[in-house]
Formats: sequence, C-alpha cells, structure tokens
Amino acid sequence: MSGDHLTGTTFEGRAAEQLAKPFQRKAIPAAVDGTVAHSRALFATGDRERLRELGRDIRAHAVANLPEYVAAFTDAAEANGTRVHFAGDATEANAIVAGICRDAGAQLIVKSKSMLTEEIELNPALEAAGFEVVETDLGEYVVQIANDRPSHIIGPIIHKTRGEVRELFSAIAGRDLGDDPRALTAFAREQLRDVFLRADVGITGGNFAVAESGSVVLVTNEGNARLATSLPRVHIALVGVERLLPRTADLSVLIPLLVASGTGQQLTTYLSIASGPRREGEPDGPDEMHVVLVDGGRSAILGTGYQDILNCIRCGACQNVCPVYRQVGGHAYGWVYGGPIGAVLTPLFKPSAEGLEVAHASSLCAACDDVCPVKIPLHDLLVDLRRDRVGRRIPGRFERLAYGAWSRAWSSPLLYRLSGRVGIASLRLLARGGVVRRGLGPLRRWTRDRDLLLPGRRRR
Amino acid sequence: MERDAFIARLAAARPGPPLPDVSSLPAVHTELRPGDELYARFVHELTAVNGTCELRPAAAVSAAVVAALGDARRVALGADLGDHQAPVEGALAAAGIAAIAYEEAVADRAVLGALEATVTGCALAVAATGSIVISAAAGRAAALIAPLHVCVVPAEHLVGGLAEALRILPPGSLTAFQSGPSRTADIEKVLILGMHGPGATHVIVAT
Amino acid sequence: MAATDRPDGEASAGRLPVTLFGTCLGDLMTPDTVADASRVLTACGCDVAAPRGATCCGQPAFNSGFDDAARRVARRTLRALARTAGPVVVPSGSCGAMMRLHWRELFRGDRDEAAARAVSARVVEWSAFVAERELPPLAWSGRVGYHDACHGLRELRVRDAPRTLLAAVAGLELVEIGSAERCCGFGGSFAVRYPDVSVAMADSKLADVAAAAVDVLVSGDGGCLLHLGGRLSRTGSPVRTLHLASLLAEALP
Ligand code: SF4
Repeated sequence: MSGDHLTGTTFEGRAAEQLAKPFQRKAIPAAVDGTVAHSRALFATGDRERLRELGRDIRAHAVANLPEYVAAFTDAAEANGTRVHFAGDATEANAIVAGICRDAGAQLIVKSKSMLTEEIELNPALEAAGFEVVETDLGEYVVQIANDRPSHIIGPIIHKTRGEVRELFSAIAGRDLGDDPRALTAFAREQLRDVFLRADVGITGGNFAVAESGSVVLVTNEGNARLATSLPRVHIALVGVERLLPRTADLSVLIPLLVASGTGQQLTTYLSIASGPRREGEPDGPDEMHVVLVDGGRSAILGTGYQDILNCIRCGACQNVCPVYRQVGGHAYGWVYGGPIGAVLTPLFKPSAEGLEVAHASSLCAACDDVCPVKIPLHDLLVDLRRDRVGRRIPGRFERLAYGAWSRAWSSPLLYRLSGRVGIASLRLLARGGVVRRGLGPLRRWTRDRDLLLPGRRRR
Repeated sequence: MERDAFIARLAAARPGPPLPDVSSLPAVHTELRPGDELYARFVHELTAVNGTCELRPAAAVSAAVVAALGDARRVALGADLGDHQAPVEGALAAAGIAAIAYEEAVADRAVLGALEATVTGCALAVAATGSIVISAAAGRAAALIAPLHVCVVPAEHLVGGLAEALRILPPGSLTAFQSGPSRTADIEKVLILGMHGPGATHVIVAT
Repeated sequence: MAATDRPDGEASAGRLPVTLFGTCLGDLMTPDTVADASRVLTACGCDVAAPRGATCCGQPAFNSGFDDAARRVARRTLRALARTAGPVVVPSGSCGAMMRLHWRELFRGDRDEAAARAVSARVVEWSAFVAERELPPLAWSGRVGYHDACHGLRELRVRDAPRTLLAAVAGLELVEIGSAERCCGFGGSFAVRYPDVSVAMADSKLADVAAAAVDVLVSGDGGCLLHLGGRLSRTGSPVRTLHLASLLAEALP
C-alpha cells in the first residue's frame, strides 16, 4: 500500500471515483457536522479571536525558531532519559524506527494513530523489515485490515459503512458479527487488548513536543496512545519537527484550540504528557523512550512564502468545512491529507505536475481561513501555489494560450466589447429559448450537467 | 542524521513574532468562567462526558468505593490513595473483595488483562474540563486497563482550569489527563464508550 | 450598460456621484442585473455613472495563478476607474474583493501601484453600499432564500447588509437556507476545471434550497447565480434565481 496515488492520475479522475460512492457523500456531512456545530458552540463561550491569535503567534514563533527549540527539547528530553533521534527524510525515519525495534528484540509492535507515519509509510517499511505492526485506533485498525488509507485526519474511516466493517471483522472472527457498531467495537477491543498485552514496542505520533520539558503530548479519545506508552517495553514517538512548542504553558492555548476544532470536545478523553521512560518507583511504563524528530520535507518550506503552513496542528477543521472535501472525501487529493490542508501540503511535499494540480482542488471559498485555529491563510497559500505552478510552466499549452489571448483581448475595451458581442451571438446560435443545453468545445464542460442561461432570459 | 546537521537545516526560517505572554488567558472553555463554583463545574463537565461523580465526607469514602465497584471482584488498587489507602483496603477486604496492588497486577499480563476494575487516587482534578490527572507514580495504565475505573479525588486537589493544572503538574514520567470513560465514534459516528480504556469512570470527591 | 456615461466629476445637484462597475460577467451575461443595480442606486439618491473603458477585474486569471494576464486586464479597468469619481460600487462580492483586497497585491511594485491603492480604497460591494442609503418604500411578494457568495461574505465581511435590505421589503418572506454560507461550487474557473465536483456542490446546496421551499433564490454574485440557475434549469426546478439588485429593482415603487 503506497500513500501516494498521484502518479498518472488527475484530481478530476480521482474525484469522479469518489463522487460515484453515494455513501461517502452523505457520510462526510453526517460525520463532521456535529463536530463543526460543537466546535462553534464551544468557541462561542470564549474569546475565540484572541485565542486564535495567541495560537498563531505561539506556533509562528516556534516554527521561526526551530533550531533553538529543537536543541532545548533534545537537551530536556535526554535529561529525562529519552533518546532523541533525527530523521532527515522518510527513509531515514523508517530505518531509525526499525533499528530501535531490532535492538529491542521486538516482534510485535502496536501503533496509535499518526498522520506522520502515513506520510513516511512506516508500516510497510516495518513489515518489510519483518515486524508485525498492529494499528490500535479503531478507525486505523479497520484501515489496516482493509488495506485502505485514512480519509480524514481525525476520523480515518468516515468513508466506510458499518456493513464494510462488519465484513472485515467477521472474516477475522470466522463468524458473522452483525452490524451493530457496539458489537463490532467490542470485537476490536478484545482483539487489540490481547495485542497490547503482548506487544514489545508502542509507536505513537506526537501532537506537540514541548521544548522546555522534553515531553511529547498525545491527544486521543480511545486511550490507545496511553496504552501504547504504558504496556510495551519500548515507546517510540515520531514527531514532525515543526510540532514543537516552547513552553508547557503554551498547551493551555493550543490544546483547547486543537481539541475544540478537531473533535468539538471540551477536552479529549485522554491527554498524555510523556516525559521519558519509567522512573524509579513507578509501577509500569516502558524501559526506553525514543523520540524521532522527522524533517521529511519540512525544513525546505522554512524561509519560503509557505512557512505558515508549518504552523498547522492537524486539527482537521479545514476539512470539515471544505465544500470540496465534503463532496469528494480525502482520497481524491491523492496523498495522505485531504481538504484545504491537503491542497496546500500535497503540492509542497509532492511537487510533481500531479501534486501541484491539487492546489486547484478548491473553489477558494475561504471557509477554511475562517475556522483554522492558528489562522493559516490557506486561501492565499493556494493562490500562491497556483502562481508557482504557472511559473514552472505546468499548465497545458491550451490553458496558457487561452489566458494569453484573453488578456490581450480584454485589455482593449474595443476588443472586449467585440469579443463579448461575438461570443454572445454565437451562444445564441446554440441556444433555444435563451438557454444553451449543449455547448461546444470548452463550453461542454459547463453544459454537461448545467444549462447556460443567456442574457435577456429572465427566469420567472 | 547528526543533531547539528539536522538543526542546521532549520535555520532558514523567516523571522516570526515574539513569543506571546500566556500568563493570563482570554476567555476559553478550558478555564473557569466568572461565577463558576469548582465542584459544580467539575460535575457538570464530567457528567457531560459520561463520567459519574459523587461528593463524600472522608469517612464515607471507602464505603462509596465498595458500592461503586458493584459486582467487580478482580480489582487492582493504586498506591496513590494517600489517607484513604488503608481505609479503602480494609473496606474492600471486609466486603470480600480480594483486591491486589496495581504494582503486582502489572507484573503479570494475564492478571492485568483479566482485571474488572481499578481504584486509584489522583494528583489533580480539573473542574473546567471534568478531568482527573494521574501521574505515572500511580501507574500509567492503572486508570484505563479495566472496564471500570473508580477514582478518589481529595477535594483540595481540585483546580479550576487547564492552565493552572499545567502550572502544577505532578512529577513523573507521564502525566495523564482523563476526562470520562474511553470513547470512539469511528464507525458511522455512533458513540461507544469503553474502546480501549474503561467504559465507566466513577469519581468520588472526598471532602 | 444602462447607466449613462457622464463627464468626470460632474454630478447633478444634491446627488451623490457613484461609479457602478458592472463587471465583465454582468456586462456580458446579465446586463439586466447591471441596469437594475443602477436603478436602485438612482432611487437611493445617487448619480450613477459607468466607467468608460473598464473591462474585467482580472480575477479569473489571478485565481488560476496567471498574474501577468490578470495584471494586464486589471490595469485597463484600474485606469478607467482612476478617472472616475465617488465610490466604486460593484454588484459582485467576488470582483469587489479582488479589487478591494487583491489589487494591492497584484500591483505591488508596479507603476500603477498608487492608482491601485487609491481605487481599491474606493471599492464598495453593492449591497453594503445600498444598505447604508435611504431607499423608497419597497414591496414585493414571495418567499426568498439568500445565498451568501463566498468572497463577499468572507473577504469583504458583507453578511447583514443583504438581509437588512431584504427584510425591508414589504410582503417578502425571508427564509434562511440551511447552508447559506457554504460555497455553491461556482468558484470561477473551478466550475469548468472540475465540473463534476462543482455540480455536486451545487446539488448539495440546492437540496437545502428545496428543503426551505423558497420561490426565489437570491444572491449578490452573478457567478453563483449563473451556476445555480443553470443547474436549477437543467433539473427542471421551479425555483427562480435573482440577483439582489434585480429583486430590489422589482420591489421599487
Ligand atoms: S490548516 Fe488549520 S484548520 Fe487545517 S488542519 Fe491545519 S490547523 Fe487545522
């Protein structure tokens, strides 16, 4: 399973595939509308704007000063007994993790949800290295056994029906489990509990890494990340290098922003601050804690016009309100992130022609700008990426010629009027009763499922 | 990659804003609102996330623990109950519940996996979020390994909001905030309690 | 367009001179709307003029990343508007946002930068402008839903003005549609770049419109109306689409 479905495909093609799934188009709004409403209600009880400004400034400050904070984090973490590793890219990150697991004599690895590990494709790498890896977030567990990909940052299987989950689980159980989500969840709990008790290594992501304390902060509802940091002998946290926060106190701003935006909760059920391996006198916990800080393309964004995207805290709020995402779901974006954050990150991390095209997967409605808890100007970044795409001469000959010709004509009032008249006159030839039902040439893309209403035809 | 080389690649950033002061926060849902009473807010938030809660005088705590355990017989006890440790142990024994120490349970995975309930204390509890805060000193998995978790919170451990809790975090290799029972809504958004952690969280606030 | 060209800076006594920039979409596809926008402005005490030689604000190219093409076209419009007086009123939130917010960026470091700043500062979205003026009593009967066009709403922050105007019309029943603030899927070139997605977005919005059982769907942006109206027409829906300016013009005494 590869996280990249871009090569040789287009957004239009991938979107068409997703639009053909009627369940998904209903499921996404059903899954995210509650979150959006709860999030709004929670923020309405406080000073949302001021909080977002604080969040933005803390994140922007940290991202701008990563050398200082990475150094401080590393020193503090090492003082806690944590080993910190530095991975320049995905291959190196995967090799580091495999090395730790090998040194620990591990066989079975439990994982909690982490988008970073999707980015670097950790699971296939560990499996190729001979380890058994089990995802323990319920959604990710389903994704793993279905050999699928998560379609939303927070709700990985919002594209799947209970019927699909029933089939997958029943196949493992060897009997029909029915389609009550309660029974299905209970089955997964049972399977996974056993795995937790036997696992040698627990792998988690990290929502934040706190420089002053050397801690990794984990936010979950199921409790799987907590178990992954409690029962196995070794805990490995993979953290994107940009996710540093200077101070523990910064969590008092970023946690409410992340949680309310991501799940619409007051606080997630579990918020864990992991600061090293088990200490003297503690009854449980890992003998070793490792933090792998991953660059994986992030440092290349620093100093560019796109630096603000590194402030992202992966809350998924921009996806929830994105009218395009709500129709096509996460997979249409072709890489690991869907929605506005995916439309910005994909071109930056996968700067192929196919990757850059994803910057167009937005109607530029700016709904994302309004909800982003750290005020990332997603709309402007998308337009900038489109500009870069033109600068690299990626758009086809037709598009470039068309804009060239258009700009020549419409910068002359005379040609503007003339082209308008000719255009409307020729449309009238295609029209019946002031309506074009079947256009020619590029107009066909408009009239495939819409009429074109010509001037003078008032709809009454 | 070597640390220095890794850090050197991060130096190209455009300058950012100064680090803002967060010693006083704008109004936010994870802090107390004017007029909030600590215990009332705690109960409100905990109940909202499907936890249950009762207020008991210190002398009545052990009886409340026994009652909360219901039919559970395979019970592990954290070592962080403080003043309540001995009375709770006594009450459990009197009720015929052969509770073992969490430290012992965790040494044997078969025992650990078969637990029906755990009883722990807590380092802090946060009113504005309905959370209990458990330090690794009490056991990392102690609050979430069994289907039922009973937590004894001395009233003086109750703080207002997240910011204050973060200022006085207990020492230990892991600090765990827990707000109500474990939950998931991954399958068609149906809320289910008790995914990996307990399906029921009962808090006894001791005055 | 319907407004009369008038020599620069001259206005009839006591009336406020305004420049109505009809936008390319308005000029070419919905000239009636521009005429209606002008009538309403006149009715609220303005002396309306059309900018001679203006074409398009450049947004289609700008949003696709073709800045040179955008600047070339926008420059023509900018220079035409620089020769006019009074507020530049635009019956489209999208073009209004382009001119008010993005022209500064487009012309940064350009020889027309100063003109761009000066004109940008004069740009007002049509409904926001009219809502501040005094209108004669309005009457119109029917059940109306309002669709917030994205850029007017989220870039120019025009939310209450159109509702205030509609609420002032006697006999008009204003119904909030469920997803009024969600994008309809037009998105300029997006509508033809990804027609399937664009139409799927329209259908999701139109389902809410149908649920609200309105007679007329009103918006402040011709682009959204072209798209939603085209989809309504294709699906045989009885719901009409109308630009806010046209509705108010119909409601004038
Ligand atoms: S871009 Fe903003 S809204 Fe989107 S996931 Fe990141 S932080 Fe959340």
